Amino acid sequence: MGEEVHNRRWLGVGRSTQADSGAAATEAVREARAGPDPKLLIVFAAITHDTAAVLAGVARAAPGVPVIGCTTHGEIGVGGPADGTVTVAAIGGVGLEVATCAVEHVSGRQAEAGYEAASCMRDVSQPHRVLMLLTDGLVRDQESIVRGSYRALGAGTPLFGGAAADGWRMNGVYLFKDGHVLTDAVIGAAIASEAPLAVGVGHGYRTVGQPMIVTRAADGRVLTLDDRPALDVYLERLDAPPEAYTDPSAFTDFALPRPLGVQRRSGVEARNLSTEVDLEGRSIGGGGAIDPGGLTWVMTGDEQSILESVDTVCRDTLDRLGGNDPIGMLTFSCAASRAVLGDDGIRREGERLQRWAGTMPFAGFYTYGEIARNHGIDGFHNQTLAVLALS
Amino acid sequence: MAGPADSLYIQQLVELLAVVSSSPDEASAVQNAVERSAQALEAEVAAAVIDGKVVASIGFPPGAVPHDEIVAMAGQQHSELDVPGLGDSPTVTASWAGSHPGHLVLARWGAPFQVEEQNLVRGMARVLELTLTMLRTLVAEHAMRESLQERQRLLEHLSAIQRAISHREDLQDILDTITEGARDLLGDGIGLLWVRDEPDSGRARLAAAAGTRPVDPADRPLVDLTAAAPAGEAMVTDRVAVRHGEELQSKMLKLLGPGTVHASMAAPVHDSGVLTGALVVASCDPTRRYSAADEQTLSAFAENVSLALTDANTLVRMRQARHDPLTGLASRGLFLEQLAQQLAIADGDGRTLAVLFLDLDRFKDINDSLGHAAGDQLLTLTADRITAQLRAGDTASRFGGDEFAVMLARVDRPQDAAGVARRIVTALAEPMRVADQWLRVSVSVGVALSSTDGQEPAELVARADLAMYEAKHRGTGGYAIYCDR
Repeated sequence: MGEEVHNRRWLGVGRSTQADSGAAATEAVREARAGPDPKLLIVFAAITHDTAAVLAGVARAAPGVPVIGCTTHGEIGVGGPADGTVTVAAIGGVGLEVATCAVEHVSGRQAEAGYEAASCMRDVSQPHRVLMLLTDGLVRDQESIVRGSYRALGAGTPLFGGAAADGWRMNGVYLFKDGHVLTDAVIGAAIASEAPLAVGVGHGYRTVGQPMIVTRAADGRVLTLDDRPALDVYLERLDAPPEAYTDPSAFTDFALPRPLGVQRRSGVEARNLSTEVDLEGRSIGGGGAIDPGGLTWVMTGDEQSILESVDTVCRDTLDRLGGNDPIGMLTFSCAASRAVLGDDGIRREGERLQRWAGTMPFAGFYTYGEIARNHGIDGFHNQTLAVLALS
Repeated sequence: MAGPADSLYIQQLVELLAVVSSSPDEASAVQNAVERSAQALEAEVAAAVIDGKVVASIGFPPGAVPHDEIVAMAGQQHSELDVPGLGDSPTVTASWAGSHPGHLVLARWGAPFQVEEQNLVRGMARVLELTLTMLRTLVAEHAMRESLQERQRLLEHLSAIQRAISHREDLQDILDTITEGARDLLGDGIGLLWVRDEPDSGRARLAAAAGTRPVDPADRPLVDLTAAAPAGEAMVTDRVAVRHGEELQSKMLKLLGPGTVHASMAAPVHDSGVLTGALVVASCDPTRRYSAADEQTLSAFAENVSLALTDANTLVRMRQARHDPLTGLASRGLFLEQLAQQLAIADGDGRTLAVLFLDLDRFKDINDSLGHAAGDQLLTLTADRITAQLRAGDTASRFGGDEFAVMLARVDRPQDAAGVARRIVTALAEPMRVADQWLRVSVSVGVALSSTDGQEPAELVARADLAMYEAKHRGTGGYAIYCDR
């Protein structure tokens, strides 16, 4: 599947559907290793795999090569989206530099951890740089991790990454750094190149109806909207079915494709509040902070609008390479978008990505949150597609 | 409720206020303000310069902050800052004076700051300055008071007020909360808030009162500003004024007090940096003596009044810039912006919206014969009668002169829009009391419905305008629907 597409720098992708975790990892790495001098292996493993065996298999196939990675809510790659696989992206070649680090015990000190994860940028010197972050998707306040990295690096370094997932089990995601399986951690990878790297991000959701004021919010949860319990206001606005008011899983199913929108200067950002419903306290929470005092809208999207945003994000990202030929892409899409798209929809999303990729390889995963920053100081997103293109 | 674009600036100021006022100390308040302002304006760089030094910044790696360039930038209004990795980026600066003069500096790559954004940055600088002053007052307060319980009460009162501000409570409610809080905190019987009647006026009006004889909200007392009363002295000298002794109390305090007033104290209040009022506490206890700590407590409270006034007035000023000052309806610019948004949404949802263009018949005759004041009154009444016919979600705008436009956010059939047009024509045909006369005016209304071909807002308004001329042509006081043939 992987192929050498550039004389000096290359990106390759491999995937294995084998049930044996070690064998699957070995097969995927061998396929991804598309050129000489591999600098980094990025491993996306289904939550159903034995993570220690995956890393052992990776080490067998490419001893000594730096490894980062995580568990997923589905693996994206050449050949379409998949569940239950080990999918690997490898980058290497002359003119490409990589340095990695892992920061543990993130909860309660997210901003510090983000700051520390950026320290690997000190060890690279090529002019075009991106800090890639993989985070534990079950850690709260992911914005602060990204903000910490921004404080360390400043405006000149784009950020890219995603929050590891566990197939909606919501009881433990895993991050990989060389031979180690980590939780409550952040992995940083400084990717530096002699040729441009480009980051892009976007969503396909739109606001519905009049805005609501977030009258009470705390600790990543929205407690009240328009001075009434947030859960009830949100469901009433959407004319939700009765079971969504009382059954947590019915609520999550209903809310996944219907994020809350937060107004920003350049548009409305989507915030997924489907995963942490409190039926007693009638509050909602999930993957991202919403500040008290702010205005918020209910948002909806459909397959057409999401596929259109795939086009927009890919076009924008590839344009940012400034005319240089791309060698491959990392594509991180939101786990919540799977709920809107369904199995057929994500297949068409994969086809859309494939159309933009052409013959070049691409890989990624369905995340619990996407990281992408070119401008401004924020870069944590929900319900988006985030793309890193290398040239 | 204000429209989305309008609300964005309001939201950003309220969010900054909430974040900054919940900061425990000066260093974190400044860092939070810097980061929040950068976030709100999607700027890559923000810095606070206080006493000629960069005290907080974001956008540069530690050790690479260009201190000298940022300090130099703070002295200028508009320039560019070289941001490593991005290049020359437009900047905006807002300054404050006082005992610790400071500047808020932002730089954003590729997009110069608009006038409204510059105003927002000024408002943010003001919020930061007032919060810092308040935090410094609290530090002095902490040093003086040993009683943890009392400090706790002070903080509780302050956070109650800040919550009220963040939750966009009505300004009067916020002022009442502050006045009541000051009275309760100082353990006194009476709390008063005086605010200058007009910007340059020598008189002040009672804005809020607690523990006094009943005050009619519609007829609040107005007093001349003289140094004789503590409020007057505070508003003239910009310092806390204290009066001990029954004989030194002002006439107004004697009038408002539930009994004989023996002690009073006033602290100055500012609105956007201008000395504009005074917060007063007073006691009927003959043994009451105000200590230095009491003066600090009242000062902290007065800063909160300043914050509330600055915040509320900034919001009003921002709102005014986007609304017709005479009728309060949306400005032409705001209307077209909202129409563009609604058209995009309607297009996506496959629904139809309608624009009504209205022109008063005979307005010029009335304006010429009865004068501009009567003309203004007529326009205000017209605006009220138009909005009375609309549903929530519909928007009315004064386009200029005697022209109005209305957006109906959802119409299922052309007859729905025609129904609203008919109701407006009927409502405006009723006589109006203007300049002591009963006048009859009529209105011609043009109606245009959105189509599914990605229409521009200006084009839809132009169609409604054409239909309005058709209605006028048929005779005054009627409506016509645009027909694309």
